[in-house]
Amino acid sequence: MLRFIFTRLSHMLIALFVITVIVFSLSHLTGSPIDALLPDDATQQQIDSLTEHLGLDRPYYVQYLTFLQNAAVGDFGDSTKWKGNTAAAVVLERLPATLKLGGLAVLISVVVAIPLGVLSAVWRGSVFDRMAGVIALLGQSFPAFWLGIILMWIFAVMLGWFPTSGYGGLSYMILPAIAMAWFQIAALTRLTRSAMLEVLDTEYVKLARVKGVNERSVIWKHAFRNAAIVPVTYFGVLAGSLLTGSVVVETVFAWPGTGLLAIDAIRGRDFPVVQSVVMFFAVFYLLANFLVDVLYAVVDPRIRFS
Amino acid sequence: MFTLKLITPAVLGSFLIAAVGTVPVQAQTIEMVMSPPAVETNRYWNTPGDFALGPSMQGLVGHDPVTGAYDNSGLAESWSHNDDFTVWTFKLKPEAEFHFGWGAVTAADVVHSLALHTGPDTTLNGISQLEGAVAEAIDDHTVTFTLPAPQVDFLFVHGGRGSLVIYSKAQFDKEGLEGYDAKPAGTANLQYVERNIGQGLTFEKVENHWSGQDAQYDRLELNFVAEPATTLAQLLSKEADIVILPRELQGDALGAGFKAIPSTNASNQTTMLFNGTFLLPGYDGLDETLPWLDIRIREAINRSIDRQAVIDVLYDGRAEILPVFGMDPRHEGYVPELAERFEAAYGYDLEKAQALMAEAGYPESFSNPVIPILSSTLAGNPEFPAMAELMQVFLDEAGFQTEIVEMDWASLGGLRSAREAKMFHPMRNLPVKPSAVGIRNYYSATGGPRNNYEDEVIEGLMEKYMVSIDVDERNELAGAIFTRVFEQYAVAPLASISAEVIVNPETVSAWTFPGTTSVGVSHFGSIVPAN
Amino acid sequence: MANTPRFLGRLPILPIAVLMLVLVMPALLADVIAPHDPFKAYLRNRLQPPLFFGGTAEFILGTDRLGRDILSRIMHGARYALVISLVGIILGAIVGTVLGLIAGYVRGVVDALIMRVVDITFALPSILLALALASVSGPSFQLVILVVVFVIWGFFARQVRAETLILRERDFVARARVAGASDIRILRKYILPNIINTIVVLATLQIGVVIVLEATLSFLGIGIPRPIPAWGLLVADGRQLIVSSWWISFFPGMAILLTVLSVNMLGDSLRDWLDPKLRQV
Repeated sequence: MLRFIFTRLSHMLIALFVITVIVFSLSHLTGSPIDALLPDDATQQQIDSLTEHLGLDRPYYVQYLTFLQNAAVGDFGDSTKWKGNTAAAVVLERLPATLKLGGLAVLISVVVAIPLGVLSAVWRGSVFDRMAGVIALLGQSFPAFWLGIILMWIFAVMLGWFPTSGYGGLSYMILPAIAMAWFQIAALTRLTRSAMLEVLDTEYVKLARVKGVNERSVIWKHAFRNAAIVPVTYFGVLAGSLLTGSVVVETVFAWPGTGLLAIDAIRGRDFPVVQSVVMFFAVFYLLANFLVDVLYAVVDPRIRFS
Repeated sequence: MFTLKLITPAVLGSFLIAAVGTVPVQAQTIEMVMSPPAVETNRYWNTPGDFALGPSMQGLVGHDPVTGAYDNSGLAESWSHNDDFTVWTFKLKPEAEFHFGWGAVTAADVVHSLALHTGPDTTLNGISQLEGAVAEAIDDHTVTFTLPAPQVDFLFVHGGRGSLVIYSKAQFDKEGLEGYDAKPAGTANLQYVERNIGQGLTFEKVENHWSGQDAQYDRLELNFVAEPATTLAQLLSKEADIVILPRELQGDALGAGFKAIPSTNASNQTTMLFNGTFLLPGYDGLDETLPWLDIRIREAINRSIDRQAVIDVLYDGRAEILPVFGMDPRHEGYVPELAERFEAAYGYDLEKAQALMAEAGYPESFSNPVIPILSSTLAGNPEFPAMAELMQVFLDEAGFQTEIVEMDWASLGGLRSAREAKMFHPMRNLPVKPSAVGIRNYYSATGGPRNNYEDEVIEGLMEKYMVSIDVDERNELAGAIFTRVFEQYAVAPLASISAEVIVNPETVSAWTFPGTTSVGVSHFGSIVPAN
Repeated sequence: MANTPRFLGRLPILPIAVLMLVLVMPALLADVIAPHDPFKAYLRNRLQPPLFFGGTAEFILGTDRLGRDILSRIMHGARYALVISLVGIILGAIVGTVLGLIAGYVRGVVDALIMRVVDITFALPSILLALALASVSGPSFQLVILVVVFVIWGFFARQVRAETLILRERDFVARARVAGASDIRILRKYILPNIINTIVVLATLQIGVVIVLEATLSFLGIGIPRPIPAWGLLVADGRQLIVSSWWISFFPGMAILLTVLSVNMLGDSLRDWLDPKLRQV
């Protein structure tokens, strides 16, 4: 087990290293922060002195090594767009908002998708099964920004049930969380349904039924417990796509999280912030998947040796 | 739930009466929504001229809310200049005070602020006006600026759209830049409370403000919202009291009973530029394949544009036709005759356009006849994509070959710095500026590298204009330059528009602002809440 | 192929009909059946509401802010939806399948290497990458395809590798190897045919992902460049006017919704038929 963890960790580090190279070169390919920072009437002198001030006149490899050296200790430099803050501080300040919203979105998708998937499997081929399938699929069929705007207009402007947008407590989070979660619900429902179908088909469950165990406990205790590992493996993917989804949903709902930050930083050519956001997203994704792998290996020892 | 909500303010109110023993005045907060600024920082000199600090920070010179003229509502009570406009002296108001107990505003604060604003990290718009300026404290309340060259328009630097706002030296000496980052002391009748990055800023009323004019409400929240549809939703659901909304969406708000308040003066000019028209002899960076180097093509393009349709489609019908981009009746060189000649010279006329194209031999005689039209994304100019498509419609109609090029504003900035922005592209709405600034930025080599048009005649006039200190002569020179720009079809001017905010009339009854800042709004302290 | 008649019997008629009507037919016949030129702006007829909502039969689904016919734009947009999905998915499937086959068959260092690359592509937020790339070269058709391939190839690679790992241990592969078949031949003749069903199902299910992705890119201003009437761009452009001129975004949005829904339902049926064990999302 230790060996397994060690191998997975080293894979993660290699991936992270490659990602730093990609992130660094991409962000520098996008142009120069001075293009975004300087006013439309910038003079040549202003261009030159700001370039020097930001250290952008040094060779690329020097800039990369400096970046790598500092990044290793979590220092991504000073933000150029949010002057007076370090890039890491800017990201950390916006992080809780994204985690809260993402957390609620995960919760909503689990609470909706698991029962939907389980019951669809139990009542396979029924009207419920079909309806559940369509409801789940609907979420994947809306572009998230459009769904967000529609939800906002119906539930906030017309009905007045929730605030339209902005940062705040639970009432502010519900609409954006639904906009984010719905996309995941389809996938999670499908996974749960197919895993349940498989388990329901096993001798073990049939035996329980024959023994006269009541149906509810057959489904939830015997079958679901064994099927649950499958949706769990999906959380790695889920983590990644929620972060990506946050980019769009946070823009629509003016939710001050890292997704909105990332767009602003890229448009503003704020390399230090772009680099720290992407690195954060990557670390988060890799960690989530690492945990899922470990969990899976604990549950299913065969994995360790494959 | 609902009953609880209703009861709480009443309970709180009676509690307050009991506790304080006075009639409670309900604390009033004005919520204003706008698109996020390009740079979020309390260091004004690290922005292109971010107005978001406008509620609390001031410069030396103010503006009359109705006429927009310079007045002494800023920190200086009077000013004067020497005969050749190279030495400007400002007398500060002795009663002016910084917030949070940082003391009176003195000449030392002005000297300190100038140093901050002209450092190597400055990204301010129009900073060239402060290049080489030396500030000197004559006494506590008198400061002089000595300039390397005459500047007739020097007050512009100190006004609403200017480049110099006054920070407290006392705060800097004690707390350093971190002090400004945490809580910058300003001087206006609203003071800084906090900034939440990505969300906005909060200001509060200063009690018994030194100017004798207190704000009529307690708190001002500026909230940043990037999506215009979301901004509209915030207004319609009455979460916001004041919003800055794209013209396209204003009809929805007005239809729902909300009110538009325009700036008292026209605030912005909009245009398309024929970038790359560098016609100075001997310039070797000229791309000779650009079709619009031929004046007939520039005229033909101008005549293909139905400006009334532009105003209807992009500005909801509320705009004026603009004869020359950069020219304004309030500034030097205004030539009324050009406005009269506009219809004859620039009026929508497809036949004339096609005749000109035929005469120029378009497209056969052009190695590269395609006109690239830029579509860009820029906060504050949400109409750009629609503008690009509209221009394409007009040009296609006339028979031009076109393509739309999409890029973000920063990429365009990079191309302009490299003088490679060879496109027919829109300009960020030009806030009305002194003529000299506009001419320099757009029509003269002195505005390099980011200018878009150059020719010999203008350069000759510009040389005299820049050093002239005679009011009549300056007026004549600027007028001559604008006439040349007009006759050369140097750009495609579109419209003159005022800045507008949409307010909820239940909470905001009036706000008078002259349209003298980059987004148009100012005079936050004089917003009148409805009671 | 013995399964075919049984599948035909359970063929999801409705989704296929919707797909033909909304996606395939307009894509093939837009030039003939669209009532107007999708680029022609009738400035006098700006923001016309749809027929039955105060509009006229001339513009059945209304017009946009420049007076262009929404119906014609949706029909022409179908072509781009179809081309992007087909090209993007075929490229993504080829890259993913080839690398997945190699990883699963060769194993060892090569496998580890390829799987790390998969990890990396999943770990990099694709949208942010697209934004960065778009600011380098500007938004373009090619960029959209590139992003699509980047987003989906890993799914194919992982699935194909997993199945290859199992198949390569099976008796018939071992027999072929003993008989002297080359690796290429084994992959082509014995392994690929056994995973083609999985690939087809996966590919079908990805169509929806791609169409929604294109819309998201348009929302961020980095989708198919204007004035091409791609569906995503139509919705993104109309979203601001959702109150007063709802039809601008509503109808293209419905086109996306119906297409994605149908494709996914079709994909589900295909999976039940071809590859019931496939769990891939």
